[in-house]
Amino acid sequence: MSKSNMLGFGLGLRSEYYQQILEQRPAVDWFEIISENYMVGGGKALYFLDAIKEQYPLVMHGVSLSIGGPHEIDADYLRQLKNLADRVQPRWVADHLCWSRGSAHQLHDLLPLPFTQESLLHVASRVRLVQDILQRPLVLENVSAYVQWKTSCMSESQFLAELSSLTGCEILLDVNNVYVSSRNQGFDPWQFIMELPRERIRQIHLAGHSDYGHYLIDTHDQPIAGPVWALYGEALNYLGATATLIERDDHFPPFDELLAELSKARSISAKVLGAAAPCV
Amino acid sequence: MRLSAQQEALERYLATGDSAIPPGLLEQIQGSNTLPATDGLMIYHNAYRARLLGVMREDFPALHRWMGDESFEQLALAYISAWPPRHFSLRWLGEKLPEFIRGYVAEPQRSPMLELATLEWTFTLAFDAPDAVPLSLDVMGGFSADDWVSLRACLIPSVCWLQLQHNTVDMWKSAKAEIGIPDAVVLSAPMNCLVWRHKLVCQYRTLEPSEASALRLLTDGGSFASMCEYLLSTHGEQSPLQAAIWLKSWISDGLLVRTCRIGTSDTIFLN
Ligand SMILES: [Fe+2]
Repeated sequence: MSKSNMLGFGLGLRSEYYQQILEQRPAVDWFEIISENYMVGGGKALYFLDAIKEQYPLVMHGVSLSIGGPHEIDADYLRQLKNLADRVQPRWVADHLCWSRGSAHQLHDLLPLPFTQESLLHVASRVRLVQDILQRPLVLENVSAYVQWKTSCMSESQFLAELSSLTGCEILLDVNNVYVSSRNQGFDPWQFIMELPRERIRQIHLAGHSDYGHYLIDTHDQPIAGPVWALYGEALNYLGATATLIERDDHFPPFDELLAELSKARSISAKVLGAAAPCV
Repeated sequence: MRLSAQQEALERYLATGDSAIPPGLLEQIQGSNTLPATDGLMIYHNAYRARLLGVMREDFPALHRWMGDESFEQLALAYISAWPPRHFSLRWLGEKLPEFIRGYVAEPQRSPMLELATLEWTFTLAFDAPDAVPLSLDVMGGFSADDWVSLRACLIPSVCWLQLQHNTVDMWKSAKAEIGIPDAVVLSAPMNCLVWRHKLVCQYRTLEPSEASALRLLTDGGSFASMCEYLLSTHGEQSPLQAAIWLKSWISDGLLVRTCRIGTSDTIFLN
């Protein structure tokens, strides 16, 4: 995958900051939207979406595709996702490698899959279907996990690598999720990253988590932790320049604090990649 | 165990209120030294309820305040198990709460709770209802005499029109102002209340019975002239003036879209 269209350093678009973004035009290279928040009839969200998309490149990031779910892919959801993509003209469309809906309920969580051949074939056929409808590669993100399935015969990163080679889908590497899962499950986060095909990594996520001592929860309500910054630097060293986005979903700080975290990401990237590999 | 059976086992565990982990599920799950399987599963189990309860509290803040934490949580959990989330967006989670209250709560609490939940849900609906360009005072300023006579209008799509039997609006206002909520009482006559969105912000207003009848007549397809005629019996000579005053206030509230009837069924939006 060519990185010539590297987007730079972005932030998650959240309603708390709409007004400020339009008034102050902060130095953010791009914004990422939560797709479902804009699958509505009208009102504030769509108003600000239309205004902000005139000023910044956007990326769509969904939470409800349930690409690994046991149900049929929700045709109404896909239609709305496609309509939104037509409206937003995002640089890419992402969701998570997980399932979020069962056969009877929406579970509204990013649940882990068993990493088996059976899951791989199941997910791959659904990725192809979604890509056919969206007419673009789907970008899938590794999730934070609190359990694993005993039947798994490969790691999540090996699964993503296989899935990508089967379907042409791309990968969103959430460095915080790698760190959270590695602490919870006792694996080597660096090995996880090394197992990913670097040419297929479209984007990186950074976020904060909550530390409960012997385990971590992916809460997106804290500043990014030191070990996650360190892992980010190592990841960039392996990947080269990669579009990077900071997610914040609760305990919203003044916007300047997020800009300061974004500056930190820029400087880590500059330091790791040196002057020879400009990021933007 | 096949993928679909594994998923069904986890789904059943998450969606039932029971936190005891079925052995059939537990034997599928690999924990770690730092996070045993039971603790990991509990994290998902708790997160499911916490997330849904959080949405219910956000969508029904006045009902929550009126009932108190414990009773509201009990109601919300009973609701969630009766109406588990079916839509991909949590925005729709509370849609059936009024309906649920109707069957779950006994009088005398049932009716005022039902009204308060309905009122709060209409704000949720108005918030992201489809956009429309309402008739403006500017446009109205340029009306010819013919325009006045033939004016027809309907309500913008975000309007919800409620008829409340209780002092629900006062209860809601007090809850919003975070002051003591008055006891629920039945009103001597039903109160008409409109909830809608104007310039991105949700609005509400109550209507006196005569104003409500006039607005109903106009938005049911009557012309401005027929509204004046209708008001003759109550307002005499003042009826065109009264009709114009009300029309102006509905328009400044952004409630109306101008429509023009062609033939019998086609409606065209002019602005
Ligand atoms: Fe993420």
